[in-house]
Amino acid sequence: MKLKLYIKLVSASIRSRMQYKMNFVFSMVSYGIVMMIDFLMLAAILNRFNEVKGWNLYEVGILYGISSVSLSLYRTVAPEIHEFEKYMIEGEFDSLLIRPVSPLVLLLSKNLDLSRIGGALQGMIIIALSLYHVSHTHSITLLLIYLPVILVCGWVISFSLALVTATIAFWTQRIKDFQTFTLYAPFYAANYPMNIYPGWLKFIFFTVIPVAFINYVPMLFLLNKSGNIYYLLLPVLVALLFFYLALAFWNFGIRFYHSTGT
Amino acid sequence: MIEANQLTKSFKMYPSKRGILNSMRSLFSAKYEIKHAVDAISFKINEGEFVGYIGPNGAGKSTTIKMLSGILHPSSGTATVLGINPQKERKQLARNIGIVFGQRTQLWWDLPVKDSFEILKAMYRISEQDYRLFLKKYDDILEIGRFLETPVRKLSLGQRMRADLAAAMIHNPSVLFLDEPTIGLDVVAKKNIREFLKEMNRSHQKTIILTTHDMDDIEQLCSRVIVINQGKTVLDGSLEQLKNHIGLPSILKVLFDERVNPKNIIGVEKIEQIDSELTILYDRSKITSPALLQEISQWGTPKDIQMKEPEIEEVIQYFY
Repeated sequence: MKLKLYIKLVSASIRSRMQYKMNFVFSMVSYGIVMMIDFLMLAAILNRFNEVKGWNLYEVGILYGISSVSLSLYRTVAPEIHEFEKYMIEGEFDSLLIRPVSPLVLLLSKNLDLSRIGGALQGMIIIALSLYHVSHTHSITLLLIYLPVILVCGWVISFSLALVTATIAFWTQRIKDFQTFTLYAPFYAANYPMNIYPGWLKFIFFTVIPVAFINYVPMLFLLNKSGNIYYLLLPVLVALLFFYLALAFWNFGIRFYHSTGT
Repeated sequence: MIEANQLTKSFKMYPSKRGILNSMRSLFSAKYEIKHAVDAISFKINEGEFVGYIGPNGAGKSTTIKMLSGILHPSSGTATVLGINPQKERKQLARNIGIVFGQRTQLWWDLPVKDSFEILKAMYRISEQDYRLFLKKYDDILEIGRFLETPVRKLSLGQRMRADLAAAMIHNPSVLFLDEPTIGLDVVAKKNIREFLKEMNRSHQKTIILTTHDMDDIEQLCSRVIVINQGKTVLDGSLEQLKNHIGLPSILKVLFDERVNPKNIIGVEKIEQIDSELTILYDRSKITSPALLQEISQWGTPKDIQMKEPEIEEVIQYFY
Protein backbone atom coordinates (compact mmCIF):
# COMPACT_ATOMS: atom_id res chain seq x y z
CA MET A 1 0.00 0.00 0.00
CA LYS A 2 2.74 2.43 1.08
CA LEU A 3 4.85 1.41 -1.90
CA LYS A 4 1.97 1.88 -4.31
CA LEU A 5 1.42 5.39 -3.03
CA TYR A 6 5.14 6.12 -3.23
CA ILE A 7 5.26 4.99 -6.86
CA LYS A 8 2.20 7.08 -7.68
CA LEU A 9 3.72 10.18 -6.08
CA VAL A 10 7.13 9.66 -7.68
CA SER A 11 5.62 9.20 -11.11
CA ALA A 12 3.66 12.43 -10.58
CA SER A 13 6.86 14.24 -9.71
CA ILE A 14 8.64 12.92 -12.77
CA ARG A 15 5.74 14.00 -14.96
CA SER A 16 5.94 17.46 -13.38
CA ARG A 17 9.66 17.58 -14.00
CA MET A 18 9.26 16.54 -17.61
CA GLN A 19 7.24 19.68 -18.20
CA TYR A 20 10.59 21.42 -18.27
CA LYS A 21 12.65 19.02 -20.41
CA MET A 22 15.44 21.37 -21.42
CA ASN A 23 16.20 22.19 -17.82
CA PHE A 24 16.44 18.47 -17.04
CA VAL A 25 18.86 17.70 -19.85
CA PHE A 26 20.97 20.73 -19.06
CA SER A 27 21.38 19.92 -15.36
CA MET A 28 22.27 16.29 -16.15
CA VAL A 29 25.00 17.31 -18.58
CA SER A 30 26.45 20.03 -16.36
CA TYR A 31 26.51 17.76 -13.32
CA GLY A 32 28.32 15.04 -15.30
CA ILE A 33 30.97 17.54 -16.41
CA VAL A 34 31.55 18.82 -12.87
CA MET A 35 32.04 15.25 -11.60
CA MET A 36 34.52 14.40 -14.38
CA ILE A 37 36.66 17.47 -13.68
CA ASP A 38 36.59 16.57 -10.02
CA PHE A 39 38.01 13.13 -10.64
CA LEU A 40 40.60 14.29 -13.17
CA MET A 41 42.01 16.56 -10.50
CA LEU A 42 42.24 13.67 -8.03
CA ALA A 43 43.94 11.48 -10.64
CA ALA A 44 46.42 14.24 -11.46
CA ILE A 45 47.43 14.58 -7.83
CA LEU A 46 47.77 10.82 -7.34
CA ASN A 47 49.78 10.44 -10.53
CA ARG A 48 52.31 12.86 -9.16
CA PHE A 49 52.70 11.17 -5.78
CA ASN A 50 52.07 7.56 -6.78
CA GLU A 51 50.69 6.64 -3.40
CA VAL A 52 49.13 8.14 -0.31
CA LYS A 53 50.35 6.72 2.98
CA GLY A 54 50.45 3.17 1.68
CA TRP A 55 47.41 3.39 -0.64
CA ASN A 56 48.12 3.35 -4.37
CA LEU A 57 46.16 5.16 -7.09
CA TYR A 58 43.70 2.31 -7.67
CA GLU A 59 43.06 1.69 -4.01
CA VAL A 60 42.29 5.38 -3.52
CA GLY A 61 40.15 5.13 -6.68
CA ILE A 62 37.98 2.54 -4.90
CA LEU A 63 37.59 4.82 -1.89
CA TYR A 64 36.76 7.72 -4.18
CA GLY A 65 34.26 5.72 -6.20
CA ILE A 66 32.39 4.43 -3.16
CA SER A 67 32.17 7.87 -1.57
CA SER A 68 31.00 9.38 -4.83
CA VAL A 69 28.37 6.72 -5.55
CA SER A 70 26.99 6.98 -2.00
CA LEU A 71 26.56 10.72 -2.21
CA SER A 72 25.11 10.62 -5.74
CA LEU A 73 22.57 7.96 -4.80
CA TYR A 74 21.43 10.07 -1.89
CA ARG A 75 21.21 13.16 -4.11
CA THR A 76 19.14 11.17 -6.63
CA VAL A 77 16.62 9.84 -4.15
CA ALA A 78 16.33 12.72 -1.70
CA PRO A 79 16.72 16.08 -3.45
CA GLU A 80 13.96 17.55 -1.27
CA ILE A 81 15.89 16.65 1.89
CA HIS A 82 18.89 18.38 0.40
CA GLU A 83 16.84 21.47 -0.46
CA PHE A 84 14.92 21.30 2.79
CA GLU A 85 15.48 24.90 3.81
CA LYS A 86 13.04 26.09 1.17
CA TYR A 87 10.29 24.30 3.10
CA MET A 88 11.16 26.33 6.15
CA ILE A 89 11.64 29.67 4.48
CA GLU A 90 8.52 29.48 2.34
CA GLY A 91 6.48 27.71 5.00
CA GLU A 92 5.75 24.92 2.52
CA PHE A 93 6.20 22.30 5.20
CA ASP A 94 2.60 23.01 6.29
CA SER A 95 1.30 21.27 3.19
CA LEU A 96 3.09 18.06 4.15
CA LEU A 97 1.63 18.02 7.63
CA ILE A 98 -2.02 18.05 6.59
CA ARG A 99 -1.83 14.61 4.98
CA PRO A 100 -2.36 11.22 6.61
CA VAL A 101 1.13 10.16 5.51
CA SER A 102 4.44 10.85 7.21
CA PRO A 103 6.06 14.06 5.96
CA LEU A 104 9.30 12.19 5.28
CA VAL A 105 7.55 9.84 2.84
CA LEU A 106 5.94 12.84 1.14
CA LEU A 107 9.29 14.63 0.88
CA LEU A 108 11.05 11.60 -0.58
CA SER A 109 8.30 10.98 -3.08
CA LYS A 110 8.04 14.59 -4.13
CA ASN A 111 11.04 14.52 -6.37
CA LEU A 112 13.70 12.28 -7.87
CA ASP A 113 16.74 14.03 -9.23
CA LEU A 114 17.55 11.68 -12.10
CA SER A 115 20.31 13.97 -13.36
CA ARG A 116 22.40 12.79 -10.38
CA ILE A 117 22.46 9.24 -11.72
CA GLY A 118 25.26 10.50 -13.96
CA GLY A 119 27.38 10.99 -10.83
CA ALA A 120 26.64 7.46 -9.60
CA LEU A 121 27.54 5.96 -12.99
CA GLN A 122 30.80 7.88 -13.08
CA GLY A 123 31.64 6.56 -9.58
CA MET A 124 30.82 3.00 -10.67
CA ILE A 125 33.14 3.31 -13.67
CA ILE A 126 35.98 4.47 -11.44
CA ILE A 127 35.35 1.56 -9.05
CA ALA A 128 35.36 -0.91 -11.97
CA LEU A 129 38.60 0.46 -13.45
CA SER A 130 40.30 0.49 -10.05
CA LEU A 131 39.13 -3.05 -9.24
CA TYR A 132 40.51 -4.29 -12.53
CA HIS A 133 43.98 -3.01 -11.62
CA VAL A 134 43.77 -4.12 -8.01
CA SER A 135 42.83 -7.64 -9.13
CA HIS A 136 46.37 -8.16 -10.41
CA THR A 137 47.70 -8.21 -6.87
CA HIS A 138 44.71 -9.10 -4.67
CA SER A 139 41.85 -11.51 -4.74
CA ILE A 140 38.76 -9.38 -5.20
CA THR A 141 36.05 -12.04 -4.95
CA LEU A 142 34.99 -11.07 -1.44
CA LEU A 143 35.21 -7.39 -2.36
CA LEU A 144 32.87 -7.86 -5.32
CA ILE A 145 30.38 -9.77 -3.20
CA TYR A 146 30.51 -7.17 -0.46
CA LEU A 147 30.43 -4.10 -2.75
CA PRO A 148 26.60 -3.81 -2.95
CA VAL A 149 26.43 -3.88 0.86
CA ILE A 150 29.04 -1.11 1.05
CA LEU A 151 27.15 1.04 -1.41
CA VAL A 152 23.85 0.61 0.39
CA CYS A 153 25.49 1.42 3.74
CA GLY A 154 27.19 4.48 2.24
CA TRP A 155 23.90 5.61 0.83
CA VAL A 156 22.11 5.14 4.17
CA ILE A 157 24.87 6.98 6.05
CA SER A 158 24.85 9.92 3.65
CA PHE A 159 21.07 10.07 3.78
CA SER A 160 21.15 10.02 7.58
CA LEU A 161 23.74 12.81 7.69
CA ALA A 162 21.58 14.84 5.33
CA LEU A 163 18.47 14.18 7.40
CA VAL A 164 20.21 15.35 10.57
CA THR A 165 21.33 18.48 8.73
CA ALA A 166 17.83 19.09 7.38
CA THR A 167 16.42 18.72 10.91
CA ILE A 168 18.64 21.59 12.07
CA ALA A 169 16.52 23.79 9.80
CA PHE A 170 13.61 23.50 12.26
CA TRP A 171 15.63 25.81 14.49
CA THR A 172 17.85 27.77 12.12
CA GLN A 173 15.66 27.91 8.98
CA ARG A 174 18.77 27.88 6.81
CA ILE A 175 21.03 24.84 6.39
CA LYS A 176 23.08 25.53 3.26
CA ASP A 177 26.07 26.60 5.37
CA PHE A 178 25.82 23.55 7.61
CA GLN A 179 25.78 21.21 4.63
CA THR A 180 29.34 22.24 3.78
CA PHE A 181 30.47 20.91 7.16
CA THR A 182 28.23 17.87 7.46
CA LEU A 183 28.10 16.62 3.85
CA TYR A 184 30.39 18.15 1.27
CA ALA A 185 33.59 18.38 3.30
CA PRO A 186 33.34 14.93 4.96
CA PHE A 187 32.54 13.21 1.66
CA TYR A 188 35.38 15.01 -0.02
CA ALA A 189 37.63 13.89 2.83
CA ALA A 190 36.41 10.30 2.41
CA ASN A 191 37.87 10.25 -1.10
CA TYR A 192 41.22 9.65 0.61
CA PRO A 193 42.31 7.11 3.24
CA MET A 194 41.60 8.27 6.77
CA ASN A 195 45.16 7.76 7.99
CA ILE A 196 46.27 10.95 6.26
CA TYR A 197 44.19 13.08 8.63
CA PRO A 198 45.18 14.41 12.07
CA GLY A 199 43.73 12.68 15.14
CA TRP A 200 40.94 15.10 15.95
CA LEU A 201 39.64 14.99 12.39
CA LYS A 202 39.84 11.21 12.36
CA PHE A 203 37.87 11.21 15.60
CA ILE A 204 35.08 13.18 13.94
CA PHE A 205 35.00 10.91 10.89
CA PHE A 206 34.76 7.82 13.07
CA THR A 207 32.05 9.21 15.37
CA VAL A 208 29.71 12.16 14.77
CA ILE A 209 30.14 12.19 10.99
CA PRO A 210 30.96 8.51 10.44
CA VAL A 211 32.14 8.66 6.83
CA ALA A 212 35.14 6.45 7.65
CA PHE A 213 32.78 3.46 7.76
CA ILE A 214 31.50 4.07 4.26
CA ASN A 215 34.72 2.99 2.53
CA TYR A 216 37.88 3.17 4.64
CA VAL A 217 37.06 0.62 7.35
CA PRO A 218 35.83 -2.22 5.11
CA MET A 219 38.59 -1.56 2.57
CA LEU A 220 41.29 -1.89 5.25
CA PHE A 221 40.27 -5.52 5.56
CA LEU A 222 39.32 -6.21 1.95
CA LEU A 223 42.63 -4.84 0.64
CA ASN A 224 44.59 -6.83 3.23
CA LYS A 225 45.88 -3.77 5.05
CA SER A 226 44.75 -4.57 8.56
CA GLY A 227 41.76 -5.60 10.61
CA ASN A 228 39.59 -8.69 10.49
CA ILE A 229 36.32 -9.94 9.11
CA TYR A 230 34.35 -7.93 11.69
CA TYR A 231 35.37 -4.79 9.84
CA LEU A 232 32.75 -5.83 7.30
CA LEU A 233 30.04 -5.84 9.91
CA LEU A 234 30.84 -2.36 11.20
CA PRO A 235 29.46 -0.36 8.21
CA VAL A 236 26.12 -2.18 8.51
CA LEU A 237 25.87 -1.55 12.25
CA VAL A 238 26.91 2.09 11.93
CA ALA A 239 24.47 2.67 9.07
CA LEU A 240 21.58 1.14 11.02
CA LEU A 241 22.40 2.98 14.23
CA PHE A 242 22.93 6.29 12.47
CA PHE A 243 19.74 5.94 10.46
CA TYR A 244 17.80 5.22 13.63
CA LEU A 245 19.30 8.23 15.42
CA ALA A 246 18.68 10.51 12.43
CA LEU A 247 15.01 9.46 12.31
CA ALA A 248 14.62 10.02 16.04
CA PHE A 249 16.22 13.46 15.76
CA TRP A 250 13.95 14.33 12.83
CA ASN A 251 10.82 13.30 14.75
CA PHE A 252 12.02 15.34 17.70
CA GLY A 253 12.78 18.36 15.51
CA ILE A 254 9.32 18.45 13.89
CA ARG A 255 7.88 19.52 17.23
CA PHE A 256 9.84 22.74 16.88
CA TYR A 257 8.59 23.57 13.42
CA HIS A 258 7.13 27.03 13.64
CA SER A 259 5.80 27.71 10.15
CA THR A 260 5.63 31.19 8.69
CA GLY A 261 2.97 33.84 8.83
CA THR A 262 0.75 33.97 5.78
CA MET B 1 -16.33 18.63 18.68
CA ILE B 2 -13.53 21.19 18.43
CA GLU B 3 -12.06 22.39 21.66
CA ALA B 4 -9.25 24.76 22.50
CA ASN B 5 -8.18 24.99 26.08
CA GLN B 6 -5.83 27.82 27.06
CA LEU B 7 -4.15 27.27 23.70
CA THR B 8 -0.91 29.24 23.50
CA LYS B 9 1.84 29.52 20.92
CA SER B 10 4.82 31.69 21.61
CA PHE B 11 7.81 32.21 19.39
CA LYS B 12 11.31 33.18 20.29
CA MET B 13 12.23 35.94 17.94
CA TYR B 14 15.93 35.96 17.18
CA PRO B 15 17.38 38.74 15.15
CA SER B 16 17.91 36.74 11.96
CA LYS B 17 21.35 36.63 10.43
CA ARG B 18 23.06 34.87 7.59
CA GLY B 19 26.26 32.85 7.59
CA ILE B 20 27.11 29.83 9.67
CA LEU B 21 28.86 31.63 12.49
CA ASN B 22 26.07 34.11 12.94
CA SER B 23 23.34 31.52 12.75
CA MET B 24 25.24 29.31 15.22
CA ARG B 25 25.60 32.26 17.52
CA SER B 26 21.95 33.16 17.34
CA LEU B 27 21.14 29.50 18.03
CA PHE B 28 22.80 29.74 21.41
CA SER B 29 22.48 33.41 22.16
CA ALA B 30 20.20 34.61 24.91
CA LYS B 31 19.15 37.59 22.83
CA TYR B 32 15.55 37.03 21.86
CA GLU B 33 12.09 38.33 22.40
CA ILE B 34 9.15 36.11 23.22
CA LYS B 35 6.15 36.84 21.10
CA HIS B 36 2.79 35.30 21.91
CA ALA B 37 1.16 34.64 18.55
CA VAL B 38 -1.73 32.94 20.30
CA ASP B 39 -2.24 33.72 23.93
CA ALA B 40 -4.38 31.39 26.08
CA ILE B 41 -7.31 31.05 23.70
CA SER B 42 -10.21 28.83 24.72
CA PHE B 43 -13.36 27.93 22.85
CA LYS B 44 -15.68 25.06 22.16
CA ILE B 45 -17.31 24.50 18.80
CA ASN B 46 -20.19 22.11 18.36
CA GLU B 47 -21.11 19.88 15.48
CA GLY B 48 -22.62 21.75 12.54
CA GLU B 49 -21.51 25.21 13.60
CA PHE B 50 -20.15 27.67 11.06
CA VAL B 51 -17.66 29.85 12.89
CA GLY B 52 -16.00 32.96 11.55
CA TYR B 53 -12.56 33.36 13.06
CA ILE B 54 -11.52 36.92 12.44
CA GLY B 55 -8.99 39.52 13.44
CA PRO B 56 -6.35 41.78 11.91
CA ASN B 57 -3.24 40.50 10.16
CA GLY B 58 -0.89 38.81 12.57
CA ALA B 59 -3.61 38.38 15.19
CA GLY B 60 -2.95 34.65 15.39
CA LYS B 61 -5.73 33.23 13.20
CA SER B 62 -3.57 31.00 11.02
CA THR B 63 -1.48 29.93 13.99
CA THR B 64 -4.61 28.75 15.82
CA ILE B 65 -5.79 26.79 12.79
CA LYS B 66 -2.37 25.24 12.39
CA MET B 67 -2.44 24.09 16.00
CA LEU B 68 -5.95 22.67 15.61
CA SER B 69 -4.87 20.72 12.54
CA GLY B 70 -1.67 19.37 14.09
CA ILE B 71 0.79 21.35 11.96
CA LEU B 72 2.11 23.29 14.93
CA HIS B 73 2.71 22.16 18.48
CA PRO B 74 1.23 24.51 21.09
CA SER B 75 3.64 26.03 23.62
CA SER B 76 1.03 25.31 26.27
CA GLY B 77 -2.63 24.44 26.48
CA THR B 78 -4.41 21.72 24.54
CA ALA B 79 -6.56 21.26 21.49
CA THR B 80 -9.00 18.47 20.75
CA VAL B 81 -10.66 17.94 17.41
CA LEU B 82 -13.23 15.16 17.00
CA GLY B 83 -11.90 13.73 20.24
CA ILE B 84 -8.41 13.49 18.76
CA ASN B 85 -5.30 15.21 20.01
CA PRO B 86 -4.01 16.85 16.80
CA GLN B 87 -0.34 16.65 17.76
CA LYS B 88 -0.30 13.09 19.03
CA GLU B 89 -2.51 11.60 16.34
CA ARG B 90 -1.93 13.95 13.45
CA LYS B 91 -2.34 11.33 10.71
CA GLN B 92 -5.52 9.99 12.24
CA LEU B 93 -6.93 13.53 12.37
CA ALA B 94 -5.86 14.25 8.79
CA ARG B 95 -8.28 11.55 7.61
CA ASN B 96 -11.16 13.37 9.23
CA ILE B 97 -10.57 17.04 8.48
CA GLY B 98 -10.30 19.08 5.31
CA ILE B 99 -7.98 22.08 5.12
CA VAL B 100 -7.82 24.88 2.56
CA PHE B 101 -5.22 27.62 2.61
CA GLY B 102 -6.39 30.36 0.27
CA GLN B 103 -2.88 31.64 -0.27
CA ARG B 104 -1.33 28.36 -1.22
CA THR B 105 -2.67 25.52 -3.30
CA GLN B 106 -2.46 21.96 -2.02
CA LEU B 107 -2.58 20.61 -5.56
CA TRP B 108 0.29 19.49 -7.76
CA TRP B 109 1.17 22.68 -9.57
CA ASP B 110 2.38 21.31 -12.91
CA LEU B 111 -0.11 18.46 -13.26
CA PRO B 112 -3.72 18.37 -14.44
CA VAL B 113 -6.28 18.75 -11.65
CA LYS B 114 -7.40 15.17 -12.21
CA ASP B 115 -3.91 13.84 -11.41
CA SER B 116 -3.94 15.61 -8.07
CA PHE B 117 -7.31 14.08 -7.27
CA GLU B 118 -6.03 10.63 -8.16
CA ILE B 119 -2.98 11.01 -5.94
CA LEU B 120 -5.24 12.08 -3.07
CA LYS B 121 -7.53 9.16 -3.83
CA ALA B 122 -4.60 6.80 -3.27
CA MET B 123 -3.42 8.72 -0.21
CA TYR B 124 -6.79 8.61 1.54
CA ARG B 125 -7.54 5.09 0.25
CA ILE B 126 -10.79 6.02 -1.46
CA SER B 127 -12.63 3.29 -3.32
CA GLU B 128 -13.18 3.56 -7.05
CA GLN B 129 -16.92 3.87 -6.49
CA ASP B 130 -16.66 6.66 -3.90
CA TYR B 131 -14.20 8.45 -6.16
CA ARG B 132 -16.62 8.42 -9.07
CA LEU B 133 -19.39 9.72 -6.81
CA PHE B 134 -17.04 12.45 -5.63
CA LEU B 135 -16.25 13.61 -9.18
CA LYS B 136 -19.93 13.62 -10.07
CA LYS B 137 -21.04 15.45 -6.95
CA TYR B 138 -18.41 18.18 -7.11
CA ASP B 139 -18.89 18.65 -10.80
CA ASP B 140 -22.51 19.41 -9.97
CA ILE B 141 -21.75 21.94 -7.23
CA LEU B 142 -18.36 23.37 -8.21
CA GLU B 143 -18.28 22.51 -11.92
CA ILE B 144 -14.83 21.04 -11.60
CA GLY B 145 -15.45 18.88 -14.66
CA ARG B 146 -14.67 21.83 -16.92
CA PHE B 147 -11.01 22.01 -15.95
CA LEU B 148 -10.14 18.48 -14.81
CA GLU B 149 -7.59 18.07 -17.60
CA THR B 150 -6.00 21.51 -17.14
CA PRO B 151 -2.67 21.85 -15.26
CA VAL B 152 -3.19 23.67 -11.99
CA ARG B 153 -0.77 26.45 -12.94
CA LYS B 154 -3.03 27.38 -15.85
CA LEU B 155 -6.23 27.73 -13.81
CA SER B 156 -7.74 31.08 -12.91
CA LEU B 157 -7.69 31.92 -9.22
CA GLY B 158 -11.40 31.15 -8.91
CA GLN B 159 -11.04 27.78 -10.64
CA ARG B 160 -8.03 26.93 -8.54
CA MET B 161 -9.94 27.66 -5.37
CA ARG B 162 -12.82 25.45 -6.51
CA ALA B 163 -10.36 22.67 -7.27
CA ASP B 164 -8.71 23.14 -3.88
CA LEU B 165 -12.06 23.03 -2.09
CA ALA B 166 -13.06 19.87 -3.92
CA ALA B 167 -9.68 18.33 -3.08
CA ALA B 168 -10.26 19.10 0.59
CA MET B 169 -13.58 17.22 0.41
CA ILE B 170 -12.32 14.09 -1.32
CA HIS B 171 -12.19 12.03 1.87
CA ASN B 172 -15.54 13.42 3.05
CA PRO B 173 -14.24 15.05 6.24
CA SER B 174 -16.71 16.19 8.87
CA VAL B 175 -14.66 19.25 9.88
CA LEU B 176 -13.35 21.96 7.55
CA PHE B 177 -10.65 24.51 8.32
CA LEU B 178 -10.67 27.27 5.74
CA ASP B 179 -7.95 29.90 5.91
CA GLU B 180 -9.05 32.82 3.71
CA PRO B 181 -10.68 30.80 0.94
CA THR B 182 -12.05 33.90 -0.79
CA ILE B 183 -8.88 35.98 -0.83
CA GLY B 184 -8.22 37.70 -4.13
CA LEU B 185 -11.36 36.38 -5.81
CA ASP B 186 -13.76 38.50 -7.87
CA VAL B 187 -17.38 39.02 -6.84
CA VAL B 188 -18.80 36.15 -8.89
CA ALA B 189 -16.18 33.66 -7.72
CA LYS B 190 -16.73 34.71 -4.12
CA LYS B 191 -20.45 34.16 -4.50
CA ASN B 192 -19.88 30.65 -5.89
CA ILE B 193 -17.59 29.72 -3.04
CA ARG B 194 -20.00 31.09 -0.44
CA GLU B 195 -22.89 29.14 -1.88
CA PHE B 196 -20.81 26.01 -1.83
CA LEU B 197 -19.79 26.52 1.78
CA LYS B 198 -23.36 27.28 2.79
CA GLU B 199 -24.50 24.02 1.26
CA MET B 200 -21.69 22.04 2.89
CA ASN B 201 -22.75 23.44 6.25
CA ARG B 202 -26.55 23.30 5.89
CA SER B 203 -27.14 20.12 3.91
CA HIS B 204 -24.04 18.14 4.77
CA GLN B 205 -23.69 19.18 8.43
CA LYS B 206 -20.02 19.99 8.07
CA THR B 207 -18.51 21.87 10.97
CA ILE B 208 -16.58 24.80 9.52
CA ILE B 209 -14.06 27.28 10.86
CA LEU B 210 -13.40 30.11 8.43
CA THR B 211 -10.89 32.91 8.62
CA THR B 212 -11.47 35.82 6.29
CA HIS B 213 -10.88 39.49 5.69
CA ASP B 214 -14.21 39.84 3.97
CA MET B 215 -17.08 41.11 6.11
CA ASP B 216 -19.59 39.77 3.58
CA ASP B 217 -18.25 36.24 4.08
CA ILE B 218 -19.01 36.56 7.77
CA GLU B 219 -22.43 38.12 7.32
CA GLN B 220 -23.61 35.57 4.80
CA LEU B 221 -22.12 32.45 6.27
CA CYS B 222 -21.31 32.50 9.94
CA SER B 223 -23.70 31.87 12.78
CA ARG B 224 -20.96 32.55 15.28
CA VAL B 225 -17.98 34.84 15.32
CA ILE B 226 -14.77 34.64 17.30
CA VAL B 227 -12.70 37.80 17.13
CA ILE B 228 -9.07 37.73 18.14
CA ASN B 229 -6.54 40.50 18.38
CA GLN B 230 -2.89 40.18 19.36
CA GLY B 231 -3.41 36.53 20.18
CA LYS B 232 -6.31 37.04 22.58
CA THR B 233 -10.03 36.44 22.17
CA VAL B 234 -11.82 39.77 22.28
CA LEU B 235 -15.28 38.55 21.35
CA ASP B 236 -16.97 35.18 21.04
CA GLY B 237 -20.63 35.34 20.14
CA SER B 238 -23.27 35.55 17.46
CA LEU B 239 -23.10 37.79 14.43
CA GLU B 240 -25.75 39.94 16.15
CA GLN B 241 -23.50 40.41 19.15
CA LEU B 242 -20.62 41.45 16.92
CA LYS B 243 -22.85 43.95 15.19
CA ASN B 244 -24.17 45.34 18.45
CA HIS B 245 -20.68 45.52 19.82
CA ILE B 246 -18.90 47.30 17.02
CA GLY B 247 -21.89 48.20 14.84
CA LEU B 248 -20.09 47.33 11.62
CA PRO B 249 -19.49 51.01 10.97
CA SER B 250 -18.80 52.63 7.66
CA ILE B 251 -15.62 54.63 7.44
CA LEU B 252 -15.19 58.19 6.23
CA LYS B 253 -11.77 59.75 5.89
CA VAL B 254 -11.68 63.54 5.65
CA LEU B 255 -8.62 65.69 5.13
CA PHE B 256 -9.06 69.32 6.22
CA ASP B 257 -6.81 72.19 5.32
CA GLU B 258 -6.11 72.75 9.00
CA ARG B 259 -6.62 71.04 12.36
CA VAL B 260 -10.27 71.05 13.43
CA ASN B 261 -12.23 70.41 16.61
CA PRO B 262 -14.67 67.57 16.00
CA LYS B 263 -17.98 67.60 17.90
CA ASN B 264 -20.28 64.74 18.84
CA ILE B 265 -22.76 63.75 16.17
CA ILE B 266 -25.53 61.18 16.66
CA GLY B 267 -24.66 58.02 14.71
CA VAL B 268 -20.91 58.62 14.80
CA GLU B 269 -19.25 55.93 16.85
CA LYS B 270 -15.65 56.95 16.84
CA ILE B 271 -13.41 59.69 15.52
CA GLU B 272 -9.67 59.44 15.17
CA GLN B 273 -7.61 62.48 14.41
CA ILE B 274 -4.09 62.62 13.06
CA ASP B 275 -3.15 66.24 12.38
CA SER B 276 -5.74 67.54 9.96
CA GLU B 277 -6.98 64.11 8.92
CA LEU B 278 -10.07 62.62 10.53
CA THR B 279 -11.16 59.00 10.38
CA ILE B 280 -14.83 58.77 11.26
CA LEU B 281 -16.62 55.51 11.99
CA TYR B 282 -20.36 55.87 11.73
CA ASP B 283 -23.51 53.81 11.56
CA ARG B 284 -25.36 54.29 8.29
CA SER B 285 -28.65 53.21 9.81
CA LYS B 286 -28.51 56.21 12.16
CA ILE B 287 -27.06 58.91 9.97
CA THR B 288 -26.89 59.14 6.16
CA SER B 289 -23.64 59.96 4.47
CA PRO B 290 -24.83 63.31 3.00
CA ALA B 291 -26.13 64.40 6.41
CA LEU B 292 -22.81 63.49 7.99
CA LEU B 293 -20.88 65.40 5.34
CA GLN B 294 -22.99 68.44 5.97
CA GLU B 295 -22.26 68.33 9.69
CA ILE B 296 -18.56 67.86 9.10
CA SER B 297 -18.22 70.72 6.68
CA GLN B 298 -19.20 73.03 9.52
CA TRP B 299 -15.94 72.17 11.33
CA GLY B 300 -13.68 73.43 8.56
CA THR B 301 -12.98 73.21 4.85
CA PRO B 302 -12.52 69.61 3.69
CA LYS B 303 -9.77 69.17 1.08
CA ASP B 304 -10.33 65.51 0.36
CA ILE B 305 -13.00 62.98 1.28
CA GLN B 306 -12.80 59.19 1.04
CA MET B 307 -15.50 56.67 1.84
CA LYS B 308 -14.74 53.07 2.61
CA GLU B 309 -16.78 49.97 3.08
CA PRO B 310 -16.14 48.40 6.47
CA GLU B 311 -13.22 46.00 6.57
CA ILE B 312 -12.80 43.71 9.52
CA GLU B 313 -9.16 44.62 9.83
CA GLU B 314 -9.68 48.29 10.33
CA VAL B 315 -12.83 48.09 12.37
CA ILE B 316 -11.26 45.74 14.86
CA GLN B 317 -8.10 47.74 15.11
CA TYR B 318 -10.08 50.86 15.90
CA PHE B 319 -12.08 49.16 18.59
CA TYR B 320 -9.56 47.08 20.45
